[in-house]
Amino acid sequence: MKLYLVQHAEALSKAENPERPLSQKGVADALRMAAFLDMAGIGVDEVIHSGKKRAEETANILANAVWPGNSTLEMDGLKPNDSTDHLLHAAETAGGDILVVGHLPFMEKMVARLLTGAEDGMQIGFEPGAVVCVERDETDATRWRLNWMLRPSMLSNA
Amino acid sequence: MRLYLVRHGKAEFGMEDDAGRHLSPRGRYDVDMIGQHLAAQDLPVKRILHSGLVRAHETAEILAMHLAPKVEPELLTGIEPWGDVKAFAQLAETWNEPTIVCGHEPFMGSAVSQLVTGKPGNDIVEVKTGSVMALSRSKWGANWILRWMINPRVVRGPKTMED
Repeated sequence: MKLYLVQHAEALSKAENPERPLSQKGVADALRMAAFLDMAGIGVDEVIHSGKKRAEETANILANAVWPGNSTLEMDGLKPNDSTDHLLHAAETAGGDILVVGHLPFMEKMVARLLTGAEDGMQIGFEPGAVVCVERDETDATRWRLNWMLRPSMLSNA
Repeated sequence: MRLYLVRHGKAEFGMEDDAGRHLSPRGRYDVDMIGQHLAAQDLPVKRILHSGLVRAHETAEILAMHLAPKVEPELLTGIEPWGDVKAFAQLAETWNEPTIVCGHEPFMGSAVSQLVTGKPGNDIVEVKTGSVMALSRSKWGANWILRWMINPRVVRGPKTMED
């Protein structure tokens, strides 16, 4: 089972728009990532997000590539400072692949906890719109390994 | 300081002379695709190092062609499949130029674990052949930061060529 952990793409500031939708660059970055995931032939069984506008918009753009024709779902426990317990439990028991769009510092803590067992076990160089693919061990659902990690700045515009 | 740790591409099968195994056609293709992908990013690579095994040397040559045509790949001993990971981590601390290191499993996975978590046995990465892991030295802690990681599967899409 694979889990794709995504930091929402770049958003407008609170001063620019209190709802904080994606900026023009954020939309472009998410579209580029979606095109890349499509090219890589990646599909998932569910796309979930925190419910915040910038996460939902990012999730909707990526879902077009990896879960076409479906509506993304809001899940509790994905807010920036939420505990990682909820998603960890969901990931350890999930039957299919899931793409999750959330925030920092939550996502960094989640990746570190999955890979090392501790939220502060390692530092991950997230940037807005980055995608981290981790895979669950086939026999031990508490063990995860990093498969790949991509940032929008690594993708060409082609 | 950027460090790019690479596992060689898929190699030919052969039992007699492990160190002399060449990349297979698919291994060459995969590393070529990785090199093309990274070439678009203008990585500031100044040194390219490889183990004494032919498949790692060939991987280094292909990456050099794409990323740093003027850099001559150099042999680095101690990074063979069962090399001393802690000694390598100490050596990497002394480097100041962006460096690519082409080696093997289980060494590379263990090296990433050592550099990023401080322990060689944490088993945090699935290092498929042709994978590249980018690390940078942390400003705050003793450990390195994992910046990104790619493998041939994600760069070229689903498998298109048999071994």
